[in-house]
Formats: sequence, C-alpha cells, structure tokens
Amino acid sequence: MTRTLMSMLIALMIVLAACGGDGDTTEPAADSGTTGDTGGDTDGDTGADEEDTGDTGDTSDAGAAPAEITILAEDIPAGLDYDGPSAAIPTSQTGMVNLQEPLVYYRSAGTNDEGVGLLDFGFSDENFEGRLAESWSFDAATLTWTFNLRQGVVGCSGETFTADDVVYTFARAKSVSGAAPIGWFLSNVASIDGFDTGVFSGEEGATDLGDEVVKIDDFTVEIRQSAQNKLFLPVLTIFGLGIFDKEMMEANATEEDPWSHDYANNVNSPSFGPYCLETWEKDNQFVVTANPDYYLGAPDIDRIVYQKVPQSSNRLAAIQSEDAQLVERLTPREFDSLAGNDSVDVLGVTGNDNLFIHMNFTIPPFDDPLIRQAVAHAIDYDEIIRVGYFGNAVKWEGQVPASYPGYHRSDTQYDFDPDRARQLLDDAGYADDGSILLSYVAEKESTLGPIATLIQSNLADVGINVQLDPLPQTQYGDRQLVKKDLQFALNDQEKPIGVDAGYATLLFFVSTEAGGLNNMVNYTSATVDDLFSQLINEGDEATRNDLLAQVQDTLQEDVAWLPVVERKTQWALSPDLSGLVWHPDNSIRWADLSVGG
Amino acid sequence: MLWAYIGKRLLIALLQLLGITLAVFFLIRLLPADPVARLVGFNASEEVYNQAEASLGLDQPVLRQLGLFLGFFPDEQGGLLQGDLGRSWVTNEPVLSEIVNFFPITLELITIAFVVATIIAIPIGMVSALRPAGKIDRATFTYGLFAGAQPEFWWGLMFVYVFFFNLGWAPAPLGRLKPLTDAPDRVTGFLTIDSLLDGRLDVFVEALHHLWLPVMTLVLILSGPIIKMIRQNMLRVLESDFILYARSSGLRSRTIAAYTFRAAFAPALTLLGILYGFMLGGAVLVEQVFSIGGLGQYSIRSILQFDYPAIQGVVLTITAFSLGVYLILDVVHAIMDPRVRT
Repeated sequence: MTRTLMSMLIALMIVLAACGGDGDTTEPAADSGTTGDTGGDTDGDTGADEEDTGDTGDTSDAGAAPAEITILAEDIPAGLDYDGPSAAIPTSQTGMVNLQEPLVYYRSAGTNDEGVGLLDFGFSDENFEGRLAESWSFDAATLTWTFNLRQGVVGCSGETFTADDVVYTFARAKSVSGAAPIGWFLSNVASIDGFDTGVFSGEEGATDLGDEVVKIDDFTVEIRQSAQNKLFLPVLTIFGLGIFDKEMMEANATEEDPWSHDYANNVNSPSFGPYCLETWEKDNQFVVTANPDYYLGAPDIDRIVYQKVPQSSNRLAAIQSEDAQLVERLTPREFDSLAGNDSVDVLGVTGNDNLFIHMNFTIPPFDDPLIRQAVAHAIDYDEIIRVGYFGNAVKWEGQVPASYPGYHRSDTQYDFDPDRARQLLDDAGYADDGSILLSYVAEKESTLGPIATLIQSNLADVGINVQLDPLPQTQYGDRQLVKKDLQFALNDQEKPIGVDAGYATLLFFVSTEAGGLNNMVNYTSATVDDLFSQLINEGDEATRNDLLAQVQDTLQEDVAWLPVVERKTQWALSPDLSGLVWHPDNSIRWADLSVGG
Repeated sequence: MLWAYIGKRLLIALLQLLGITLAVFFLIRLLPADPVARLVGFNASEEVYNQAEASLGLDQPVLRQLGLFLGFFPDEQGGLLQGDLGRSWVTNEPVLSEIVNFFPITLELITIAFVVATIIAIPIGMVSALRPAGKIDRATFTYGLFAGAQPEFWWGLMFVYVFFFNLGWAPAPLGRLKPLTDAPDRVTGFLTIDSLLDGRLDVFVEALHHLWLPVMTLVLILSGPIIKMIRQNMLRVLESDFILYARSSGLRSRTIAAYTFRAAFAPALTLLGILYGFMLGGAVLVEQVFSIGGLGQYSIRSILQFDYPAIQGVVLTITAFSLGVYLILDVVHAIMDPRVRT
C-alpha cells in the first residue's frame, strides 16, 4: 500500500514538474527575455499622447505586447514612507524614487565610456531642470524662493498636482511625526526657516508649518530660508522631499495617524511619479505599472517586477539564464565573472561608492596622527583594487567623492610605503599589544572579508597586529552612529547623497559642537569648523571652492578618514535594455530604461 | 481520563510558552546593539534620536515595556493578551498579519518535504532492517553519512548549480512562481491549494515546478534520520520475543514485516513529530537559497534589523507550533498507549 502510494506521488511530481519545465504556461508575453515590442517597434510609446483612460493597469498600445522586465535585488521596499522606519534601507528608497516626483532634479550630462548616463551636478540654475516646478527664482533680500509649478500634472490616483501638495509635503515634514524624520532633516540641511531643532521642544505649535512655505496661488509656492545656503536646490532632489499627493494622503489619514504614515509605509506612497504601484508583497515582490499620465511621457517599460532574491549568486545565475533583465548588488567577483558573456552587459560608474578606514580620534592609539599616517602608508592600495575589486576601483585620493562639485585632490597623499610606516611607528613610540580590532559589517563578508584580511596582513608587516571583528550590520551601525566607539573599522557604506563637498564636510567632518551630523570618528578641527562656517553661506562659487579645498587639505593632513578606494557602482543587465542613468542615491530610476535601442 | 491528560498537557504548554516569551523578551534586550541607531541612520542628532527612541517605546522602563507587550495596559495599546503582537519596527505593519502572511509559505514547504521524506524514507528503513548488511542497507548507510555531512544551504546551492544552471531542469531560484506570473487570490496561503481553488491549474503546475528543488533539498537532509530511526526501531522489534514466536510459527515474511512495522512505528511517531517541528529551523536557510519569502526569511530580516516585536512574534509562533505538534503527539501516544496517561 505504502509502496503504491509512494510510486504514485513520485510519478505525479515528475510529470507535473516536467509539464512546467521550460514553457511559458502563464503569459505569452512573459518570455524569458525582455518582453516588449518583439515586432521591431521598440520605441516603447505607450500611448501617452492618446486619450487618457485613467486606467493605470493597462498602458499598452493596441496590438503591441506590453514591455515588462524583471529586476532582482537583495531586498524590495520594506516601506514607502521616507519619514518611516525603513527609509534608511536602499531598496526602500528605490521604491520611493520611482513612485514619487521631486520639485527639481539634475540635468543630464551625457554618458560615461561604459554608456551609463551621468548628471550635471552643481548649484546654479543651469545644473537643474524643473520637474514638478516649472521654473523658480530666488530673492536674496528676503531669502525667498518662488516656484512656479507645472500645470496639468496628474498622479496615479487621478488627482491633479497643485501648490497644496507642496505645502502638505513640507507641513508633514515639519510635523516630525514619523519614526525617522528625514523630511525635516533635509529641510534643516537646506536652511529652510523654522526647520530647526525647536520642533522637538514639545511646545505647542512648534511642529506647525508657518509662513516659511506658503501657497501664493494654485501653481505658485514660496519657500523662505533662514540663511543663504547653496544646498537648497540639491536637497530638493533627494528622495526625502518627494512631493506627496495630498488628496490621497488625507483620504487615508486617521485620528491616530493624521499624516498617514501607516498608509505611506505599508500601502502606497501616492505622488505624481512615473510609476504606479500595482502589487506589493513585502519581502517578496514589488510590481509597478507605468503612469500613463506622467507629465514627461509614460515610461517606455510598462510593467516592472522588482523581485527579492537574497542570494547574490542566484541573481547572477538568473541574469545569465535570462530569467531577469537587470540585477543589482552582485559581489565584485560575480560582476567580474560576467566578463565576456555576450548575453549580459555589465555597466558601471565611479560615482560615490567608496571604501575607507575609520580610525577613532578619541581611542588610542589612533589619537596620535603619526599612527594614523603609519597605517595610511602600510596599506597596499593596488592589491586591494586587484584582490578586492578585480580592478573595478581606483585609489581614493580625497575625502569626498571625486565626482562631486567642490572635490579637491590634496597634495598630501599616502602611498604604499611600509618603510615609511615603520619609521612613523618608531617616531610615535608605538608598542604593539595586539589588542586592536578591525571591525566591518559581517553581512558583507564576501566583499570586505578578503580586504580585511589583506589589511591585517599589511599591518602585521609593519608591526601592528590587529584582530578581525565582523559585526552584524545593526550593531555596527549603532556603534558607528550613536555610540561612536568603533576604534578601527573598514567602511564601504558612507556616501553623501547631497551631491556637494560642503554637504559631505557637514555630514562627516564638522565637529558635533559646531553642528556636525555624523562625525563617526570624533574628529575635531577648529580649522575645519571655521572654514565650514565661512563656506556654508558663501554665495560665490570660486570662493566657496577655495574654502572647500582648504578643508580637504586639512582633512588629508589629519587623516580624518583614510580613503582607500573609489569603487565602481555596477549593474548587470540584458543587452536589450538601454538608458541606465547613475543617480547619487544609487537607486535606478526605472523610467530611464528602455527596451531596445 | 484522556481529557484530564490533555488539560494537563495544555497547561504545561502554556507555561512553557510564557517562559519562552519572557526569556525572549529579556534576551533580545541584552543584544549588543541599539535598534534606534538603525532607525535614525545618518540623522542621529540627540533630538532625533530621542524622538525615534520614544516612537519605539524604548524610552519606557523595561518592566513597563514588558507590561505593554503582554497586554496589561489595554487602554494604551493592545498586547499579547489581546492577541496583538505589536508592529514591526521595519515595516510598521502588525506583526501578526505579517506572520499570517509568511507562515503558510513555510508550512507548505516543510509539509510537502515532510510527506515526501516520510514516504521515501520509511520503506527504505524497513528494507534496510529486514535485510541488514544487504545492498540497500549499505547504500543507505553511505547516503546517511553523505547527506548529513553538509548543511542544507550547501546542498541547496549545489542543487541550484546542477539542476538549474547546468541541466536546466529546475526553474531559476526566484521564489514560488516566475516573477511575471500573477499569483492566485490568497485563501489559505498555500500556493498549491490556492491555485486549485482559483481554478489555475497552470499556476499549480508552476508552483510544483518551483517547489521540487527546495523540497528535495529538505528531503535529502531529512530522510537520513528517518531511515536510521525506522531501521533501528525495526531491528529492535525484530529481535523481540513476539516476532521470534511469529517466525517460529511459520508466518509469512510480509505478515511479520507488518507486525514489526506497527510495533516500531509508535516510538518513531514521536521522533517524526519532533523532526517536523525541527524542520521550521532548517527551512530558514533553504528559503534564503531559493528566495522563498516565508517565515524563515522574515526571521532572518527581523534578527538582522533588531526588530524586537517581529523577533518576539516569530519565536512565539515557532514555539506555539512546536508545542502544538508535541501536544498532538502526546495525545496520539496516550490514545495508543493508555499507560502514558497515568
């Protein structure tokens, strides 16, 4: 009896599995490759100029197969509220930027030699293009920006964009009612009046929006700053100030949650962006369809499936087998393994991904500048580039990304020179007791582990014996950001998303007493603090860049961080896909992509 | 008599559940990291930190946090006594609804794997016992050493490499269905059942096609101990007096095998139940390898993100499931063997 049953079940499994083998049993259009326009017409025009149906689910031209692609990542959005608990997760930000729309954004600046689109970073009006804002002006006398908003913009809900949506967005940011108030933080960085720490005082009305952001008419908004600040327009491009669809947000507000954090975090983030949320199965799949009413024209790709595949090796296998059209965050070794594969393109850009060594200024022996310099000379940078990044990195010669406005290559450089390192250690009177721990994020073992081992070996050669100390990501973050007690660490996850050397200085190097935001190594320099106070409100770009150069010279001399490499941000994608653009938050804007071309 | 026994076992299970609840609540707070840091990220000024800490309720004294979690202050917020496991600190969703979503996915995987493993392993164990040192017994011994020598995730990765990447027999390890397939309406959370309820035979077939490799990974690991257990129990029974008597009476081999199996199966049942509960843990890594978004992946994410409510919810669920299985086994055992009830 048992034998018969077993035979039947095994036979059934084999037959059914064989039936499901390789055919497309579900959707004719859902073949393994990109699924668009197989008939030769690849312009991806989804009929945006035709009569609006208001239906976000079906955006294809009659007779043309809808373009659908699958993108694989290690995770999908955990939440869509930028003031919510998952805003720090990169894949959550990817969800936000593809559903939401900013007031302004950087202009295109052509492509690099690998075909990745670049942006025109800077501070002047010429660097920016209007998005929801069509034009803007600044009155230096009153520190007020006037935005003329675009008319006829329709969101996924069918609501029309107006000044009320902008005012709502800033009022919500100032309410600091979410778990992590990113909107307030960015407004504070941009010196918007009233967005200071007074909002946390608990005083009545402290979190209410006053006249710093006002609606002049349905399509005009004024925003007042407390001081002139070059970061204003760059900050408006960041995901944490995307404009909400006020009507939809208010329709989903409750008495306990008047700013709809639950809705934005768990259900949808209604806005006026290029894609509309179709389905969202947390921890599994995030599916969007093109917004047919998108004011820049409906995106070329009608439907995107953003799928969670935690193992990078599985993402690699899936792109090779053409089960996916784009994959993110493979290891350097895996990207390297795709070289010469005709069915997969690997594109990359030296943007703002980097690797540096963190030496804590308040914990011996790194309170001694000679020790920091000795470590800097002990590291074999070329070997790290070869072994850790398979050649897809360059030595980092500054303290901010080289692609950022205001970057300056200091004359002070630290090359691999073990003899010099030994001499510096002698000069410092260093006595090795083997107690130094080199910390790094344990979840990045496959990438950082070999590099940490190499550094351990380099340091042992000059007489510094360190122990490797992999820590869980959350524990590492706690010690880095809050406790600030990491003695010696390898860090590849800090990138200033405000694209400016000044913002990077404020974020990482200005002392806490002078308003520094994330000075994780407890670096204190009166010179840097003073220079920063001069440059923050400096209107002349040449003068500002000169001040920034002095800041970076000081940082290099002090070895505030030990910059190791700038590594490429890379993607593996189907050759049928084109249009990939690098954005400083490293989230792909899916609307940039096209099938064919 | 039986009801009294069940009541007693139920009471013990509840006490065990309470003990584990308290242990988990305090143990995760001893972990050397602060979940507030993850929340505030680079925006870690003192004011923002304090606000984030308050939003998680971590500014309250620990005993008050415990009281809130257990549901002693229902006017302020629901707790365990009200059937509320709190909200995830990562997604802000109710933990209970997340677990209701994820648990059936894992349950489907381990149940199918358990059934297949049992169906394969029990006959092999019986044959091994009936013909000790025979070809099947020796092959089984080798297999037991081989399968148990590597962890589940290693076998999973090897299977992906061989059956998907090299042979193309299995689908890409991208979850329970192809990314572009529309899932059937959710009723039970078991994709195989929901697809049939929805009349989607194509999806049912596709779901099986995606399941067979993770199922085989678990079966490979699970079959070894089941075979060994059945074999040992059978050997012990085969040497017992009543089997010797049956043999001496000239009964047919098949009849003797049936008697032996019946006697050997009762103790094996308990161990099978324990294995079923144990598989929840083994499924964690298999889910990770095959991108199956079940309770295993949810628990990994919760632990890595120090999401206290989610960790507490997952541990409670797994504990309750295991205790439920053990309770059922105890009751079945008590029915089969009245001596147990005393």
